Amino acid sequence: MSLPPASAIVPAMGITPVAPQASATTAAPTGLSFSQLLTNGVEAVDQRVVDADSLAAAFAVNDSIPLHRVTYALEQARLSLELMLQVRSRLVEAYQEVSRMQL
Amino acid sequence: MQAMEISRTGLDVEWRRLEVIAQNLANANSTQGVDGKPYQAMRLVSGPKADFGNYLSASSGPLGVAVYGVEPEGLPARSIYEPGNPNADAKGFVSYPGIDHAAEMTMMVKTERVYEANIVAMNAARQMYLKALELGKRS
Repeated sequence: MSLPPASAIVPAMGITPVAPQASATTAAPTGLSFSQLLTNGVEAVDQRVVDADSLAAAFAVNDSIPLHRVTYALEQARLSLELMLQVRSRLVEAYQEVSRMQL
Repeated sequence: MQAMEISRTGLDVEWRRLEVIAQNLANANSTQGVDGKPYQAMRLVSGPKADFGNYLSASSGPLGVAVYGVEPEGLPARSIYEPGNPNADAKGFVSYPGIDHAAEMTMMVKTERVYEANIVAMNAARQMYLKALELGKRS
């Protein structure tokens, strides 16, 4: 189970070009753009899912691993995925809100 | 997530504790170990988990619990007169480990309860996390 690379998704939403011109003075000079933030988040979620997956596979061959480790990893992966879905739906909502704007 | 991580360390420690108790009970009738001495009842010692940064600054918050070690309980062995036993000494006495069965069972029940309590705490943290995701949700 692996998610598609986030770099393929993020630019399609057209978020990246927004920042520079208007808010050049107010933008936080952290060097971390919003799309970078999203990419990092998706990669972290993907890592958790991969971890849970490998732990479940390891448990299938060697059940001396405490069971709660496996269920904890699965639960953590699910919570991260849930968070990612929430972030996604807020973004899509905002995008649709803007695309419906009357000019 | 940190609350869940703390509960997970609790689960780990109680799991280990149960393993030690199971080892004690399984060896209740062991007359001698590979080193020729009677088996010693063991006790798991645990305490708050801390990393080096914790000693320098108290800002990192609680980290849960950790196993400090497994130590022998130091109970004296029981000597039983059994001349027919192959492990008997010159006078016909066999050393059985000094395991307090009632104490082991009590400890086992306590371990079980603490394990359950950690699961409940973890579920509470999980519920709070999921509730927080609902904040500001439409429809």
